[in-house]
Amino acid sequence: MQAPSTPLKLTLYVAGQTPKSLAAIRNLQQIVDGAEGHYEVEVIDLRERPQLAREHNIVAIPTLVRSLPVPVQKIIGDLSDREKVLVHLQIGH
Amino acid sequence: MSGDRPEPSATSDRETELRRRLEEAEDTLRAIREGEVDALVVRGPEQDEVFALSGQDSYRAFMEAMDIGAAALDAEGRLIYANAALCMLLGRSAKDLQRHGIFGALSEAAARTVRQLIQETEGSRRSRQVALPCAGGYLHVEVTVAPMVLGFGQGHAITFTDVTERIEAAAAHESDRIGHAIMASSNEAVVACNREGRITHANAGVRQFCEGTTVGRLFDEAFPVGFALSSGLVAGSDLIGVALAGTAVRGIAATLMRDGRMQDLLLSAAPLRQSGDTIFGCVVTIANVTERLATEKRQTLLMGELTHRIKNTLTLVMAIAHRTIAGSKDMSEFRVAFGRRLDALAATHTLLASDVWKGLTLEDLITAELAPYVTVGSERVSLHGVDVRVLPDTAVALGLIFHELVTNAVKYGALCTEDGRIAIRATSQGELIEIIWQEEGGPTVAPPEKMGFGQTLIARGLGQQGAQATKVEFRPEGLHCRMYIDADQTAKG
Repeated sequence: MQAPSTPLKLTLYVAGQTPKSLAAIRNLQQIVDGAEGHYEVEVIDLRERPQLAREHNIVAIPTLVRSLPVPVQKIIGDLSDREKVLVHLQIGH
Repeated sequence: MSGDRPEPSATSDRETELRRRLEEAEDTLRAIREGEVDALVVRGPEQDEVFALSGQDSYRAFMEAMDIGAAALDAEGRLIYANAALCMLLGRSAKDLQRHGIFGALSEAAARTVRQLIQETEGSRRSRQVALPCAGGYLHVEVTVAPMVLGFGQGHAITFTDVTERIEAAAAHESDRIGHAIMASSNEAVVACNREGRITHANAGVRQFCEGTTVGRLFDEAFPVGFALSSGLVAGSDLIGVALAGTAVRGIAATLMRDGRMQDLLLSAAPLRQSGDTIFGCVVTIANVTERLATEKRQTLLMGELTHRIKNTLTLVMAIAHRTIAGSKDMSEFRVAFGRRLDALAATHTLLASDVWKGLTLEDLITAELAPYVTVGSERVSLHGVDVRVLPDTAVALGLIFHELVTNAVKYGALCTEDGRIAIRATSQGELIEIIWQEEGGPTVAPPEKMGFGQTLIARGLGQQGAQATKVEFRPEGLHCRMYIDADQTAKG
């Protein structure tokens, strides 16, 4: 894979330690493992900072947001379907 | 008006945006419906709130409400969640546990046990006890590991139940049981009293001193013991008071009336201490020494009796020696006569010893002396009323007299012929017992020219044991001797 000039900005919204939040964190970790330079990953716990939900209009948790490059892309769920995540967010290729 | 209408490209962008939002909303609904999310952000009037969709929050609320320590680990043993009870049990904060994991908070041995339990857990739960060091010693904890399905795979649920109290209660129960066993196995009576002096425990040994139940009664009521003035104690409560004050006392002599009989007791009391120095009661042992004291008294009496008899015997031996020398022609005659008299003395002592110093009957004494020469019970010897038991001193004197009478009969009287007979009769005459020795059928008897030791002993031998002077008559048909002893020189058979 060739590194894009601007890293993909990924924001994962979770709610404390709900099973799917924890699963999403782990699955995302696996997706970005070994290619850290390509991604700028942030995990936001909405239990601690619920006010941040409005920025990306988050309703369901967990949700992964690709805010850069635009357009903004979202995928809802625990990210266990790796292929679906890669295709949907157009990352990793 | 073109100004009122949006440009075609702007309309398209807005439509695209609306479509995107619609897709997003539909995707969110689908995700919720298909269980891909487990929390929702709900817009509030002032701020947004997060609500869990699954039972996770209620499960956690439940876990937090539990007073047992609980934790969830992922398949690699990493801590996912630990409740407050576990944090408290392990003395760590939740953050500390998250940072270092659960194994870092356990002792090496406990961590090894928990890891082992996790390995053993295949589809079913496993439990084991571990000891966790704590400020006051050790916490005994029952660890249970059960497999658990997590959102991202397998994990384990672990509970830590503090069973220290149960273990300590079991240990206390065991200790109590041992204490009871010790009490029960004691031959002595053992009671435990509380600070009030009321009996809380008693073994079976108390039945020899008290009828019915003793537990619940005051010690004084159950055991109204009396003490010697020298002990400084008046009642059992005084003894209890001494023990409750922290002093152990041993072997205090006391008495107790039971069924009209005075029992001699030895009492000991010691304080019962709880952890620390608090005295919560005392334990009292009561030993019945009535028999022992009676035995000791008897032994003292026997020792006195023995000393008395040895002195008497030595005096007697000296007298026999002097008189035998005086009556002997030469040393050879002395040796024979003296030897026989000592044998007679020894025979009587042997008889006395064999009857445990209780005294002998006249028949025993007569039979012992006559046996070498004639069969007692044959026609030549007749005995009447001789089943009279006499005290040891009198027995010794009578034994020597009968020896002299038999010796005389063998030498000069009824036993020196084949036809001679001897009749011995004892009759009670008020306060006296008369013993008559009568010989007949022997050679004609003539009074001796001089008084030998034999005659002297026969005539005076009873000494102070004789109630009246012994009368010896040398009748021609045979020797006739009447001896008298006091009735109080006889003993009950």
